[in-house]
Amino acid sequence: MLHTIFGILIFILTLGVIMIRPYRISEALAAAVGAGLMLLGGFLLPGEAVQLLAGEWNIYGFFLGLMTIAAIAEQAGIFEVTADQTARLAKGSARRLFLGVFLAGALLTAFLSNDATALILTPAVFALVTRLRLPVLPFMFACTFIADTASFLLPVSNPINILILDRFGGGLGVFLRYLLLPALFCIALNIAVFLFLFRKDLRGKYKLSDLPVVEPPDKVFFRFTLVALGVIAVAFVLGSSFQVPLSLVALGGAAILLFGAWRYKHLEWGRLRREISWPLFIFISGMFLVIRGVENLGLTTWFGNGLIQLSGTSPLKASLLTAAGSALGANLINNVPMALVMISALHSIGISGQAHLGLVYATILGCDLGPNLTTVGSLATMLWLLILRRKGLEVSSIEYFKLGIVVVPVMIVGGAVLIWLSH
Amino acid sequence: MKVICAIGMQGGAEIVRRLLELIGSQHELYLLDVIDSGPRNTLEDYLHGPRHLRRPPPPPPAPGRPSLPPEREQPIDEAEQAAGRTALEEARQEAERAGFQIHTEIQKGRPEQVIVQLAQKWGCQLIAIRSSEGTEGRPHIGPESVGHTARFVLDHAPCDVLLLREAGER
Repeated sequence: MLHTIFGILIFILTLGVIMIRPYRISEALAAAVGAGLMLLGGFLLPGEAVQLLAGEWNIYGFFLGLMTIAAIAEQAGIFEVTADQTARLAKGSARRLFLGVFLAGALLTAFLSNDATALILTPAVFALVTRLRLPVLPFMFACTFIADTASFLLPVSNPINILILDRFGGGLGVFLRYLLLPALFCIALNIAVFLFLFRKDLRGKYKLSDLPVVEPPDKVFFRFTLVALGVIAVAFVLGSSFQVPLSLVALGGAAILLFGAWRYKHLEWGRLRREISWPLFIFISGMFLVIRGVENLGLTTWFGNGLIQLSGTSPLKASLLTAAGSALGANLINNVPMALVMISALHSIGISGQAHLGLVYATILGCDLGPNLTTVGSLATMLWLLILRRKGLEVSSIEYFKLGIVVVPVMIVGGAVLIWLSH
Repeated sequence: MKVICAIGMQGGAEIVRRLLELIGSQHELYLLDVIDSGPRNTLEDYLHGPRHLRRPPPPPPAPGRPSLPPEREQPIDEAEQAAGRTALEEARQEAERAGFQIHTEIQKGRPEQVIVQLAQKWGCQLIAIRSSEGTEGRPHIGPESVGHTARFVLDHAPCDVLLLREAGER
């Protein structure tokens, strides 16, 4: 009994440090220490830990490949040119530009993942809109929201999808059957609501002459990268269809782009090393081990059974609970541990048949959309910011929260219902 | 009289024309554009928040606020400066035509605080400011018609404040 309590405490402490980040402790360190304590406490054996981590090679390879692809695409000027061309196509209308940002964001998210849109496109759009002297925040919110809203268009659109699908399988056909309609619904809702809420801010016009001259640093390298990205996009779709491990596609694509960068003399190892988030691998590995420890204690089975009991005999209720619970959990503690807890819980209750398979996709929906509730993707951090800010919360953070509270619950309910209807 | 005129992103020339109608041009006019650091802070908080599986590199240069990597920070810095210069130039040309004695300044920070501080520093007798940015979607009149920047300036200014309503409001 004491042993179990100790294990639960390690789990709660790890999550708590990840949520609050006292003394700016990184999530990677928190997860690594949590994993170390789980090993020391005997909640999982070293051999089991090695086997578990080795078995997750697909997610590591996928992350590495995807980050490399995004880094080289940025270097070639893909994101900057995308933002610039969106502004030119909008021909001076702030409203058309706003719509264009949504569509460009959705496309980039679909094939390069939500992190690429959020971390690279958002600053590019921020700079563009600033230069055009339009109100910045609506466009920034458009980028940040669409990064998550569009992140279940395809399996590769969010690494969390790969994390979940690796355990339960299912090709592109099944994925689209359950999530294409919810994804399109959420994107359409996002655009419609934001166009309405920001309608007065989008009345303005801008002069095309105010647009800076945006040219890629090397046009030949740019064209090579563009073609390569097209090939990679097709490969991702085909790979998902035939259930080829997507890490192979991502690493293969990264290799092609690395070759191109070397060939055209744009390979900067220093910058590439900076762009790849190495602590991420430690964080994920640590979380794998912590959740396995919790799983060995039977907690995730208990959680999974609780979910089934709460859902009763209603697949709709199960879908709604799973999606909403995943979203809330993803926002409270971070979507990686939440996804891992849900994976373990669903696995423990023996997912089979269409009724339960819907829960897998409801989990994806919730974990992908959950971070949109707050500016920083975490309710805990939001509260922490509230406490720390001497003069009260920044206006824009409150506005973001208001947007999230209005839009995200509707998306989750609508998406969960559509998933249920897909059975 | 020293007058500080906060011009904002758009419509600086219109503000100067209004000022000319109301007080004439026999004054020393300080045209001020403040690059609002609020949205940038929100962007940096967002990018460094725990929502993302990865963070933008590298570590911040000073404790306190996180920052963006140079290749992402530089376009934003340049865009802010370029937008500020364009806005100021439009207002400056109008002020020059009107015959004001002109000074121009671009600053970065919270606009409401910068305006008040500079009014104090320069010894201005009047602050001219719009009721709202114009793109904030505020009603023309009523309790919600004055934006937070104008309201702060009204509350804390060390001198008189001339609140300029949008053209459609008059």
